[in-house]
Amino acid sequence: MEKNSIQEGTLTPTKEQKFWMYRNMLVSRFLEESIEQIYLEGKKPVFNMAAGPIPGEMHLSNGQEPCAVGVCAHLQPFDVVTATHRPHHIAVAKGVNLNRMVAEIFGKATGLSGGRGGHMHIFDADVNFACSGIVGQGMGPAVGAALSRKMQGKEGVGVAFIGEGAVNQGAFHEAMNLAAVWKLPFITIIEDNQWGISVAKSESTAVPDNSVRAQSYGIPGYQVRDNDTYEIFKVAGEAIERARKGGGPSLIEIETYRLAGHFMGDAEGYRPPGELDGLKAKDPIKVMRARLGSEEGLSDEQNDRIVAEARATVEAAVNFARESAYPSPEEALEKVFV
Amino acid sequence: MAVAVTIPTNLWEEDSEAVITSWLVSDGGTVTQGQLVAEIMVEKVQHEVRAPASGTITIGQPAEAVVAKGAEIGSIA
Amino acid sequence: MNEQVRTVAANERRLTIARAMAEAIAQEMRTDPSVFVMGEDIAKLGGVFGNTRGLLEEFGNERVRDTPISETAFMGAAVGAASDGMRPVVELMFVDFFGVCFDAIYNSAAKNAYFSGGNVKVPMVLMTSTGGGYCDAGQHSQCLYATFAHLPGMKVVTPSNAYDAKGLMTSAIRDNNPVIYMFHKGLQGMGWLGTEAGATVHVPEEAYEIPFGKAAIVREGSDVTIVSVGMGVHHSLKAAAKLAEEGVSAEVVDLRTLVPLDRDTVFNSVAKTGRLIVVDEDYKSYGVTGEIIATIAERDVSILKASPQRVAYPDIPIPFTRPMEQFALPNPDKIISAYHNLKRARTWRWL
Repeated sequence: MEKNSIQEGTLTPTKEQKFWMYRNMLVSRFLEESIEQIYLEGKKPVFNMAAGPIPGEMHLSNGQEPCAVGVCAHLQPFDVVTATHRPHHIAVAKGVNLNRMVAEIFGKATGLSGGRGGHMHIFDADVNFACSGIVGQGMGPAVGAALSRKMQGKEGVGVAFIGEGAVNQGAFHEAMNLAAVWKLPFITIIEDNQWGISVAKSESTAVPDNSVRAQSYGIPGYQVRDNDTYEIFKVAGEAIERARKGGGPSLIEIETYRLAGHFMGDAEGYRPPGELDGLKAKDPIKVMRARLGSEEGLSDEQNDRIVAEARATVEAAVNFARESAYPSPEEALEKVFV
Repeated sequence: MAVAVTIPTNLWEEDSEAVITSWLVSDGGTVTQGQLVAEIMVEKVQHEVRAPASGTITIGQPAEAVVAKGAEIGSIA
Repeated sequence: MNEQVRTVAANERRLTIARAMAEAIAQEMRTDPSVFVMGEDIAKLGGVFGNTRGLLEEFGNERVRDTPISETAFMGAAVGAASDGMRPVVELMFVDFFGVCFDAIYNSAAKNAYFSGGNVKVPMVLMTSTGGGYCDAGQHSQCLYATFAHLPGMKVVTPSNAYDAKGLMTSAIRDNNPVIYMFHKGLQGMGWLGTEAGATVHVPEEAYEIPFGKAAIVREGSDVTIVSVGMGVHHSLKAAAKLAEEGVSAEVVDLRTLVPLDRDTVFNSVAKTGRLIVVDEDYKSYGVTGEIIATIAERDVSILKASPQRVAYPDIPIPFTRPMEQFALPNPDKIISAYHNLKRARTWRWL
């Protein structure tokens, strides 16, 4: 999927960029829905996490697509992105090889890491994407990538996607300060989905709006409300442009929502009743579809084609994964050192 | 007269089955009414099964058995 | 040798390790107002692994506190509170997360009593989940027993069953030193992580302590000593049952605590059997298996009829995919193979 390069000074997406974002949101969502179903294979009636074609933990990004596409619309393969235990939507938008990513999630030999990493440890060096299961761990490396580019006089920015819970980690503070002091081309994207497993943001975080913390580092901070794809696009575009021009780091917090639980199997007893239904009503993909209809005249027929294409892309990746072989067990001993 | 120990029907909404993850008393053991006798799991959620009466319990379904709502898993006499 | 109270049938009440831990904590909290609990998702949720179930309801949110994702802060805070007369029980959700807060643990909690000549005490319990086997990959499946046991100043306990879990937790809370309480996720009784029936055993209702530094002989035998902790104990018992079919009598030792380590029980067992297998889900090199073997070797290597064998995790990051993870994990078959290796080895003759 191609997208145009950024037009300087553009604060609203071009038609191409809108469609690029929409397609990526669809692929992302269909991927998560596919995984949701497949994950449960072998786990009924007994939910044993170790069972089935996708074992282990699973953290899905349904609802958080705007954060990924609104930011990655401005990024190139040479830009560096780090993400979290909830990485799929960001990986898709960053251009990670989908077949190999899904194969990795299935633990197959054709996966990005030959099955060694799984869903929380997706690495694609071709597009400079990496993620980790330790909260806040991605901050330092993204700052480091920014440092490296600056030192070498090479283009590229470092972007760390984190959750709002990670803002309360020491690693966040240190990385922000370092990036600011050294004026690095680095942006933090905080996906605030309001919940850290069972603990609400209001119970864990001293301020309701993390963008105010940017003042501690003398850098610009923004908070985007209500999961608005265009607003994310605008704000991220400004921040990335500033970083590219040597203007230093920025902090962006995005109020977003996760439509599924923290992890697959999460009974979500901690969520107030009715909260989830309210969120489903303003699904960002529905919102995007409506915008494309009114702004770009997207007809139902055209939309059906786009949707079908997105589904086919995901289906192809899932089939690739299913048909791929597992690695041989002894390969566990390889690749410890290079 | 023996009292059946059954999977409660009011703990979860759907018709999903449960699995007995642990028996917390032995077959033939003495239990008191209200005592926790087993843990069951529905999808990923754990629930408790308590003794409906006091007496000697006979285990009907073993641990790891999959059971439906209302199923009898033991009896107390 | 320890005495385990096993009451069959009458009054038998089994608990999962998760419930046993929660019960021990609750009983201490009832009698000692200085005990409080903090950690991530330990209040409303009762802990991701069930070990703080019921505490918020009984004691309220002053004494049962959900924290932000701020391990550096709340571990440090636990040290400070403990030094000031409180007895915090703090959870590190996965032992793998120790990297973000280890300074407070190994440099502060573990050393302050020493630095202060015994004047400052740090009576905190750090409870943390360990272990894999269900494809949670390299940052959520580690054991790291050796990492904590190696560094001076902290006690380390590793229960394999609910009876020990409760007694060790009670001892841990009452101990005036920092105690690292390392429970295995697969033994908690959580269902969604599989169940190990052998861990869910009778637990007396009253509070009781299990002394640290006392290993348990969980199966008596005469042909080989198998030493382990946590999940390894259950693998060892299964291997022993299989070996019995071959006419081999295996003695299984559950270390229960790594610091202090009951070297005498291990040595005496090996002196009896002459053969040693050590089983550890933690990485092989520089760990528990080496420590046990060194204990024998430095005391009296002549008690050995053959070179000791280790069944431990290879020195690799834990892989995600099932075939690789299962290849790497200790299991009963590997223990049985280790026994056959021992038998095939040249028997030493001592002049």
